[in-house]
Amino acid sequence: MSLLEQVVEHLKTLEGKPGEFKAMVSVTVPKDHLLEAIESSKDAGFNMISDVFGLDYLSYPGHQGKRFSVAYNLYSIEANERIFIRVNLDEGETLPTITHLWSGANFMEREVYDMFGVVFDDHPDLRKLITPEDLDGHPHRKDFPLGETPTLFNDGRFLDPAAFRAGLRGDSEGLTGFVGGARKGVASQQKPEGGKA
Amino acid sequence: MALTDLFTKDVQELENEGILFSSLEKLVAWGRSNSLWPATFGLACCAIEMMQSTNSRNDLARFGSEVFRASPRQADVMIVAGRLSKKMAPIMKRVYDQMPDPKWVISMGACASSGGMFNNYAIVQNVDSVVPVDIYVPGCPPRPEALVYAVMQLQKKVRGEAFDERGIELPMVEGWAR
Amino acid sequence: MTIKEAGTVSSSVQGHGDFETKYMRVNVGPQHPSTHGVLRLVVDLDGERIANLIPQIGYLHTGFEKTMENRTYQQGVTYTNRMDYLHGFAHDFAYCVSVEKLLDAQVPIRAQRVRVILNELNRIASHLVFFATGLLDMGALTLYFYTMREREKILDIFEMVCGVRMNYGYFRIGGLSRDVPEGFEDAVRAFIKDFPPMIKQYAAMFAKNDIFLQRTRDVGVVTQEMALDYGLTGPSLRATGLGLDFRKTQPYSSYEDYSFDVPTATEGDIHARFMVRFEEMGESLKIVEQALNRLEPGPYKDPDRRISLPPRSELENSMEAVIFHFKLVTEGFHPPRGEVYVPTESARGELGYYIVSDGGSMPYRVKVRIPSLMNLQSLAPACIGGLFADMVMNIASFDPVLGDVDK
Ligand code: SF4
Repeated sequence: MSLLEQVVEHLKTLEGKPGEFKAMVSVTVPKDHLLEAIESSKDAGFNMISDVFGLDYLSYPGHQGKRFSVAYNLYSIEANERIFIRVNLDEGETLPTITHLWSGANFMEREVYDMFGVVFDDHPDLRKLITPEDLDGHPHRKDFPLGETPTLFNDGRFLDPAAFRAGLRGDSEGLTGFVGGARKGVASQQKPEGGKA
Repeated sequence: MALTDLFTKDVQELENEGILFSSLEKLVAWGRSNSLWPATFGLACCAIEMMQSTNSRNDLARFGSEVFRASPRQADVMIVAGRLSKKMAPIMKRVYDQMPDPKWVISMGACASSGGMFNNYAIVQNVDSVVPVDIYVPGCPPRPEALVYAVMQLQKKVRGEAFDERGIELPMVEGWAR
Repeated sequence: MTIKEAGTVSSSVQGHGDFETKYMRVNVGPQHPSTHGVLRLVVDLDGERIANLIPQIGYLHTGFEKTMENRTYQQGVTYTNRMDYLHGFAHDFAYCVSVEKLLDAQVPIRAQRVRVILNELNRIASHLVFFATGLLDMGALTLYFYTMREREKILDIFEMVCGVRMNYGYFRIGGLSRDVPEGFEDAVRAFIKDFPPMIKQYAAMFAKNDIFLQRTRDVGVVTQEMALDYGLTGPSLRATGLGLDFRKTQPYSSYEDYSFDVPTATEGDIHARFMVRFEEMGESLKIVEQALNRLEPGPYKDPDRRISLPPRSELENSMEAVIFHFKLVTEGFHPPRGEVYVPTESARGELGYYIVSDGGSMPYRVKVRIPSLMNLQSLAPACIGGLFADMVMNIASFDPVLGDVDK
């Protein structure tokens, strides 16, 4: 049994739900067991922390459950294997810090805090990492606007970039007058009627 | 040549002998234009091309601008090379304010001039909303040759020369033409 | 939210009793000649020694991830290389490999080889800038002109291939935007022939220089435990004796075909970090040569019409090709739902794109595992306890690219 299978088996005892997509193994653990899960994975051999990052599923089609995910990307140098330990949480919930396990988690957690507003308890230095201090909000949340400036043409016309792009998303006509996804074969979201295809 | 010649001879004659006449402004401007020291304000990718413009192939030193000064107090021209984030904008303004007069600004690259491809919450969409800009250099990144050309154009501006769109020389800007 | 107060030191001097002194707090940057961009460091000094060091970053925050979430997959390639402008092909590479995994795209072998050649040439170019600026920080200006001379040659090859010197945007998802031009192979071969003597020339210029050795040996030591603790990767990790290289351990895109060594050193000091990179240039050249020898004519992009554009010639007589072309240009393709991550090796360390697809034509979330940001954390342990003057060399030796750090 490889190291990865062992760890996944162990995480299952901690109520972890394993998932696999294209040979990438991720285990979603409940928040209460997060620290234990990561600690045991580290002891088992996943000794390098590659990344800690957040995900916001606010506008993910068909998503149910909690809004945010935080994923821990751990790598084992000896076994050459990688595992993603994930935890789901809602607005206002906090996570335990893992800076005592890896000092390198410091910046990564600060980045998640900065970009998603997830608070890590007992973090030694939880400040914004990247965005300016006077910026309100957390840019990588899906309800934070991209903040584009409209383009002004000489004759006074405005081009709104978001409207321009809307056609590409497939949920409205946009300025190209083109409804995305209305072709057979690649359609992910078919639009029944309306719109010139 | 005797000193008295200066008073007795005609201006034309003297110029033929190799004595040039100029106004003090012109002389100062000529000197300034040939030693434009840039302040290092490398921000992003364009800064690498700014570095490349001083290397042996492009050799910005031919135009007297190779001395990149780290201290704004010693610099004449600020080359804003790269995208300016909103966090960096106040710092750039301060560096500009610290430069002694007269001072010029070259906005290098699409990002500095117009926000480029980064039309989002983090990037200042044009540097001239923060500092006044004299020369815009298009490109992403502009080639070192383009920067060298921009410096040459700035030299012309510093010397008070002006050209129409076809490159034909116009009379000197007012004040210089006396 | 401010940085914590500077600490204090208690000391006692005979006859004067105990007293407390505060550390002196010095702010370095963000506009500073030797921070390689817009890095800001807040340093607490105890005399000449560094007691504490906090990197403050974000002065080049460009919002890449958020912007890429609002562009189609194919448009993402224009953004990726602007993150790490010294090793841009590595970012394009990592992004394309991730999206291709999501799509199950088949990249033709010729495209893979060309990608490897360009990526490795770019790695050499990046290391050349590392030596130029790294030694410049030490006051050695001369090498700058020599390494930049060779970098120009590499940039000439890139210009020949994709028309620009930096920020290429040449890779496409599923292959390349077009085939390499005629004369590419000759140009690379000429470079392979010219470069090894140049490496010797560089070595002669600094490797045995007394000032260089004294300022780098046993300075800024990062041990292997510290490196793992701080998530250090890339050449800086290999300088601590751990030969982790994702081109070897998890080969992607035909890297398994080439034989090359992973240079390591054991000291973990600045000298080791310089020398590992120095040897890496030779290894990259080996890879370039092998890939070039195996470069065979063939298709250069995935023939799947749903991923890559139809050839120009078909547009004139095939309505179907026109439709595919129109769909791809205006809307792009729709990968299946899922989340992928492929680790790759850039000149700075582990680089990977974590891409979440919701089935739409734009990525739902792009997260870049940035090597420079993680490596920057090791700066504090390397500097603390050392001299202030060595801090500059320490920054240079980790080779951060600020566009990469701040995203
Ligand atoms: S204009 Fe292009 S090269 Fe210059 S900073 Fe912007 S993205 Fe980089």
